[in-house]
This record gives sequence, C-alpha cells and structure tokens, in this order.
Amino acid sequence: MRPLDENETTVVFEKIFKFVGTNLKNIVENPSNEGPESEPGRYCFRLQKNRVYYVSESLVKRATNISRKNLMSLGTCIGKYTHAGSFHLTIMSLNLLAANAKHKVWLKPTSEMSFLYGNHVLKGGLGRITDGIVPGDGVVVFSMSDVPLGFGIAAKSTQDCRKLDPNGIVVLHQADIGEYLRDEDELF
Amino acid sequence: MGKSRRKQKVIPPPELPPDVPEEDIEFSDEDLKFVKENTDYARFVSRIDTGAINRQCGGKVKTVEDKYEEERSKKKAHLEEKVKSSEIQVDPVDVLPVKNLDGTLHYRTVTKKSKLAEADTDDAEMDVLQDENTLNKSQRRAKAKKSKKEAKKQGKEFPEEIIQEEEETPQAAVLAEVKEELSAEERFETKKNKLAELGTELLSDPEAHIKSLKEMLEISKDENTKIVKLSLLSLLAVFKDIIPGYRIRLPTEKELEMKVSKEVKKTRFYESTLLNAYKAYLNKLIILERQTVYNQVATRCICTLLDAVPHFNYRDNLLSSVVRNISSPDEVVRRLCCSTIRSLFSNEGKHGGELTVDAVRLIAEHVKSYNCQLHPNSIEVFMSIRFDEDIGKRDSEDKNLKKSKKNNKRINQEEQNQGQENERKKSKLEMMSKIRDEVNADYKRETYEPDAKERRKMQTETLSRVFETYFRILRNTMHSIGESTEADTTSNHGAFGYHPLLAPCLDGLAKFTQQLDLDYIGDLMNYLKKLASSSSVSNNSKQKNSKLLTVSERLRCCLVAFKVMRSNLNALNVDLQDFFVQLYNLILEYRPGRDSGEVLAESLKIMLCDDRHQDMQKAAAFVKRLATFALCFGCAESMSALVTLKILLQRNIKCRNLLENDAGGGSVSGSISKYQPYATDPNLSGALATVLWELSLLTKHYHPSISTMAATISNMNTSQNQTFLSAVSPQQAFADFSLERESFEPKNETRKLNNKRKRESSEEAKNVPEIDMVEVKKKLIEKFTIVRGIKEDEKARMECS
Repeated sequence: MRPLDENETTVVFEKIFKFVGTNLKNIVENPSNEGPESEPGRYCFRLQKNRVYYVSESLVKRATNISRKNLMSLGTCIGKYTHAGSFHLTIMSLNLLAANAKHKVWLKPTSEMSFLYGNHVLKGGLGRITDGIVPGDGVVVFSMSDVPLGFGIAAKSTQDCRKLDPNGIVVLHQADIGEYLRDEDELF
Repeated sequence: MGKSRRKQKVIPPPELPPDVPEEDIEFSDEDLKFVKENTDYARFVSRIDTGAINRQCGGKVKTVEDKYEEERSKKKAHLEEKVKSSEIQVDPVDVLPVKNLDGTLHYRTVTKKSKLAEADTDDAEMDVLQDENTLNKSQRRAKAKKSKKEAKKQGKEFPEEIIQEEEETPQAAVLAEVKEELSAEERFETKKNKLAELGTELLSDPEAHIKSLKEMLEISKDENTKIVKLSLLSLLAVFKDIIPGYRIRLPTEKELEMKVSKEVKKTRFYESTLLNAYKAYLNKLIILERQTVYNQVATRCICTLLDAVPHFNYRDNLLSSVVRNISSPDEVVRRLCCSTIRSLFSNEGKHGGELTVDAVRLIAEHVKSYNCQLHPNSIEVFMSIRFDEDIGKRDSEDKNLKKSKKNNKRINQEEQNQGQENERKKSKLEMMSKIRDEVNADYKRETYEPDAKERRKMQTETLSRVFETYFRILRNTMHSIGESTEADTTSNHGAFGYHPLLAPCLDGLAKFTQQLDLDYIGDLMNYLKKLASSSSVSNNSKQKNSKLLTVSERLRCCLVAFKVMRSNLNALNVDLQDFFVQLYNLILEYRPGRDSGEVLAESLKIMLCDDRHQDMQKAAAFVKRLATFALCFGCAESMSALVTLKILLQRNIKCRNLLENDAGGGSVSGSISKYQPYATDPNLSGALATVLWELSLLTKHYHPSISTMAATISNMNTSQNQTFLSAVSPQQAFADFSLERESFEPKNETRKLNNKRKRESSEEAKNVPEIDMVEVKKKLIEKFTIVRGIKEDEKARMECS
C-alpha cells in the first residue's frame, strides 16, 4: 500500500473529473468521521496491488499494521490499473461518483435491465437527461427512482439527442451494478 | 417698489429731481404691472389732495399725475378697442390661444377650426364629416364660450405685453406695433380661412381642385409656426381622404406617347399631381420632423399616414422615419411610433405583410446601430407580430412540389425534341403563355394578396430578423457583463438603464420559442445560462456593480430557459440542472421591494411545480430553502413558497422525512451527513439530514391562512397515502395575497377584539394589557423552547460527530 505518485494522481483525478467536474473538490475534502479521533479526518487515495482505494486517513493508519502481501483490500476500491498501464474506474466507485455527478441520465424502467446486462444506453430508453452534456463527458446512469445503476461515457450531446433516432446510442457503457453478479470472481 | 418710490417723491418735496417728465416714461413694466394688480393700494393716489401738494411743491407733480392718468385712460381705450375688435370677429376660430400651446391642444383646435370653416362654407360637405361634426357639437358650443372668455383675457393681456416689449419707445410706436400685430392677426386669420377653403374644396371634388394642393403646400412654407402646423395637419386630413386605394404607377414614356382618351389623360394628370404633391409633402414632413418645434406634429402626420395608407407610394420613407423615432426620448412621439408599428404588424391585410418585413428589418438595423441602447418599447412591438404556426412544415411540401415541377420540365423538353415540325404553333403558344405570365405578374403586383409561398417567405425573413435582434441583444448584454468585471463603470450607457432591451427580449424569446430552430436552442441555452449565472462571478470579486443583471432579470433568464425547453420537448425530458442551481441561490438573494415577486412566483411554478420528476436531494434542498424563505418575507411571498413546498412534498414521498422529528435523515441522507445551509448546489446541501422546524414557527404566523397552511403541511404523513394535489399555483397564491396585503390589517382584528372585550365588561378593560403581556410571555417561552431545542439538537449532533 502506497500513496499515488504524481502521474498516477493526475490520471486518477482526470478520470474522476470527467464525471464530477468541479465537485472533485468535495471528494477530496470530504470529512471522514471514522476512527476514535474527535476531529474528522480526510479521505485519501492509496494504491495497493494495482488497485486504487479511497480510504479515510484513520483507516490508513491502522492498515499499516498489515503487511502489503496480506492486505487484500481497504476502504473503497474505485479503480484499477490494467496490464497495459491505463487506469479504469470500477463499479465500486459508483456511490462516490453518483453523489457528486455533474451529468446524469435517467433510464426508463423498461430499459433498466438492458443496461444492467452490460448494454449501451439507447435514445429510446432515455427517461431524462441533464442539459449541457458534451460527447466524451462521464455520465452517471440512474433509474427513474434515483437509484444509481452505473456509469459510462456520453456518445452524443444533449442537443444531438433530440434529433437522434430511438436506436441511437447515447451513453457508452463502462460499468453497471450488474457486474456484482456477473463478474463476482474478478471484482475483488 | 413703485409705491414706495412715489411715497418718497411725495414726502420730501424739495428733493424732487428736475427731470420728472422723462422719468414719467421710464416707469418700468414691473411697476405698471404692480399697480395694476394692486389697484386697491393705489386708490389713495386718486384721493390725494392735489391742491395741497401743489401748494407745497409747485405744478410739476400735477403734470406727473396727469400724465399717469392719461396713460391709464389710453390703456383703457386700447382695452376696449381690443375687446370690441375681438367681439366683432365673434367666430371662435379667431380666438385660438395665441400663446404657444403644446401639440395636443393645438391639434384639437385645428381640426375643429377646419370643420367649422367647412360647415360655414360648404353645406354639401356636411355629410362627409357628419359623424365628426355630430360628435363635436356639444364640445363646440362649450368651446365657443370658452374661447370668447379667452378672447377677452387676451385683449386684456395684449396691450400689456406690447408695452412690456416696447419699454422705451414712444407711445406712437407702441400703437403702430399694436396695429401691426393686429394685421398679423388678420393675416393669420386669412391664411387659416384659406386653408380651410382649399381643404373643403379638395374634399368636395378632388379631381377638379387637385391644383389647390400646391397652394396648400405653399402655405406650409410660412414662417409662422402655427400656420405651418395648421397647414401640415389640414394637408394630412386631405391626403388621408383623397389617396386612392391602390398604388399610383406613373406612366412610362412609351405609354405617354400613345394616344389616349380624354378621360385617361385627366386621370393621369390627376394622379401625377397628387403624387407630386404627396412627395413634396412627405419631404417637408421628413425635414420638419428633425426640428424640435415641429417634431411632434410631423411625427403625428407621418404616423397617421402610415397607419391609414400603408399601401401607397413612398411608404418606405414613412416607415424609416417612424422607426427612427421609435425610441425617441419624447414620450408622446415614442408612443405614437410604437402604436403605429404595432398596428402595422397586426393589420397585415392592408399592406400584404411587406411592410412587416421592412419594419422588422429597419428595427433590427436600428438596434444594431445604437448598440442595443434603446427604449424597451422599440423591441416590445415585436410581440404583436403574428406568425403562422406551420412555417417550417410547408418547406417539405414545397420540396415535393418542386420535384414534380422538375419532372414536368423534363417531360416538356422531351416533347419539344419530338415535335420540331410545328414550331410556328409552338411559338404562338409561347407568346400566349408569356403574355399570360406577364398579366398574372401585373395582377399580382396590383392586388396585394401574396400567395402562400410568398407569405411564408416573408414570414421566415421576419422571423430570422426578429431572432437576429434578440440574439444581438443577448450577446450585447453578455459583453457588457464581461466588461463590467473590469470595473469600468463609466462607460457609454445611455439614459435607458443598463440592459434596457433585455426584459422585452426575454419575453419575446419566450413567446416565439415555438418557431425557433432546434439548432439554435443550444446556443440560446448557453447564453441564458451565462446570463443567469452572471452575478456569481461578481460575488467572488466582491464588487458592487450596477451593470450586472438584477435578480428578477436572472430569474427571467431561468424562466425563459424552461419555457424554451418545454415548448421544444420532442419527447426528451431534459433536466436543466444549472438553472435549478441558479434558482436555489436566487431565492436567497430575493428582496421584496427590489425584485418583482410575480417573477419569483412564476419561476417557482414553472421550475418546481410543473416539473414532474425531481431528484430527491434537490427536492429536499428546495423544500428546506423555501421553508426558510417563507419565514423571512411577507405573506404573499411566504404563501407562494408554502404552496410550492406543499406540492414538492406531495410529489416526493421520501422528502417527507423532513417532517419527522429526528434529525440526521438516516439512510436517505446520502453522503453528506450534516445540513449545509449555505451550500450553493442543492444536491450537495444535505437537506435530508435536517428537520423542517420552520413549519412549527410558521404555524404561529400572524396571518391565519399561512398558519393553517403550515399546519396542514406539517400534518402530512410519511405514509403512502395519495393526497390530492392542490389546485392553487404559487402565482395564484402570490397574486391573492399581495392583493390581500393591501386590505389585510392584523391590528384591526385585535382592536375589534379589544372593543368586544370592552363592551363585555368595562372593568376588565384595564386588565387587557396585562392579559396581552401574559400571552406574549407564553408565546415567547414557547418560541425560546423551540430555539433551545434546536440548539441542544445541534450540540448533541456535534458531540456525536
């Protein structure tokens, strides 16, 4: 377990920034109310076996007691480095992203399942969409009752969505909560 | 002053200056006036024992006295003469007020004059103007009386004025002056009569008397402003009546060469004279319109002409001068121009819509050249333009038509290739079709009924101009805001405030948004977003800049954005998060006196009540903020806030957790564990972690309906039962209570109560204040327990964390 170096930090922050924009500040400065300390500590990012974790400081202190080899996981895993060396956000980061999301898409109940099986979000399944999405932005996908379902990358801007035919792809799938069942073995 | 001087003269007789006779003439006008006004004080002069004075200081004083007396008698003579002369010319026309009047009064007198003259000269004319005459008969009688009185007054005033002007000239000169004035009066009179005669002649038989138009024009070149105004107005009346219902096309040289019958010659002559006179008249008007003296009269003439005969020649000149005056600083002129253009827009049948396009184009250019610093009225006129709903739809139909036409052409060409033998026949046919086309074109030019295609073309052009103007204004506003961050407060902002055109522009955008092309909506939303969030930048720099948009203007931006989105839905439900953030912050910046509550109520209705689906977090944040807001302001504001709050709570069942007594929110509160009242983003305020304690304070509101409203809201259950959505909108509530605020006085009720008590028992009357004190104490205790409870709550939470 070690802090991220400068390169890794920029890569991780850029990835998260796509989804939350300026709310990234809230993620970094979020006070943690864990541990025995009376004053709330902060959260920080830690790298452990090519996975990036979002951990409270008090937990980091206590985790130092466990050797690197034996430490399976700590805090919230938000992403991992692939073999090729690029960083991917994983579905476990969904709560963090959903709370601070800038761009949101709400799915109609009929198309929820399709998304949860790993498909892209089509125009026909769109219940609602925030204004001002630009292609390439990170988008968090919600059900109509505001339950976060996953996230992805916008393929079309909000304006273009108006003229799109119902089968056009609006959001490219990246992760969804169906992965907890489908990829149970690989997730942790 | 005069009195005291005379006294001095009388009391020290030996000191009398030797040159008394000269001083006699040197009486200043002030003195004379004073004496006239205070004749009672001067009475002693007549009663003075002149003999005694003479004995004391010789005969000189007597001469002074005599001369004074003489002058007085002369003046009286003048007076009587005047009165007589005015009574001889008893016709009320000649006693028009001679002093300068403002335009409106002048106009009325003139029309009356002409009518009177007409009535006198030509009885046959009566039926033409019958309606107007009957209208004015009673007024005329009253006026005749009034003008007689005025004449007398004038007669009194006249000699005074003349003497005032001619201080040092001898009496003879004064007399001459009076005569001259009289002759001028007469000339004025004769000219007026002439105008009236010419006008009536023209109206009775325009073809025969068309030449008298020139004479009237000659009169309008007079030096006297009154005559000029009169002639302009009478010419206006004449032209309005005799201009034909078609546009005059002067014959070409070829046509002139052709032999024509007498009748045709006559009409040609008539038309060309009319047109020339009209042209000269318009030139005159346009020149005079730039002079301040004639501005109002000339503008009135131009506007009336444009309104009455928008189909006639030279209408473009008329239109351009009207548009030039559309944001004139003169209220009357501006009103006139605006109403004229409005009527142009609403009565398109008169001119076939061509003038609409021209007017909109001219206004657009006007706005451009003045850099958007105009009076709001100049843009408000766009609101009365009407567009067909299916401008866009017909495009596709036309394309189909064009395709079929192309096919036809191809077929024709093939046919031509096939049959080259009978070319003669073909050429004949071609000739025929050519002629037919020409005739059709001519016919179209003459009848002002453009077909649907042309109409659509014109409308699209108008629309594009309108939107061009609107976008120009928006961009201009944005630029000015951008500049304002550089603290450049003394830049070139005109007399119309900082963003004079923004409000009408936003209104217009909201109205015409149906016609807006989808491609532009993105840009429009970006502009609106920037405008709505404009002052958040300034808050950071902490500069108080008056250039920035006011709260109501920013609210309007949000409103327009929502309206645009709603009218162009296309089955896509777009969440305008940025505008919600703006509204969330603007609620705090609202001040009752400064900002318009109607706009706030409307935006609450459109943004919060009409939206079917809301984020839970966002809804909770708005509920909390609205409750806080309801505590701070008057009945109307808090009632509209409460109505919105109720609707929000009815829609979002989970938000009813706010009504529960335990703070913290439990599992629904999300990642933010504590309510942050100053958060700018509703999603990050953590409102679900708090309790709506404001409602319990509002149940003790002095206004009964607000307290009952708060009570019903706080009794809402968290259970799933479907409560009926209340039919009252926040706007409605605001309107109701702002009306009621004027009549509602809580003090009166308490007084009535007190009165009742007094009636019931006079003994208890003394105790009333004590009872009140007890009540107040109780209430205070209750309130403080609540506040203490809140504080303890917070403390407990702090300890927990």
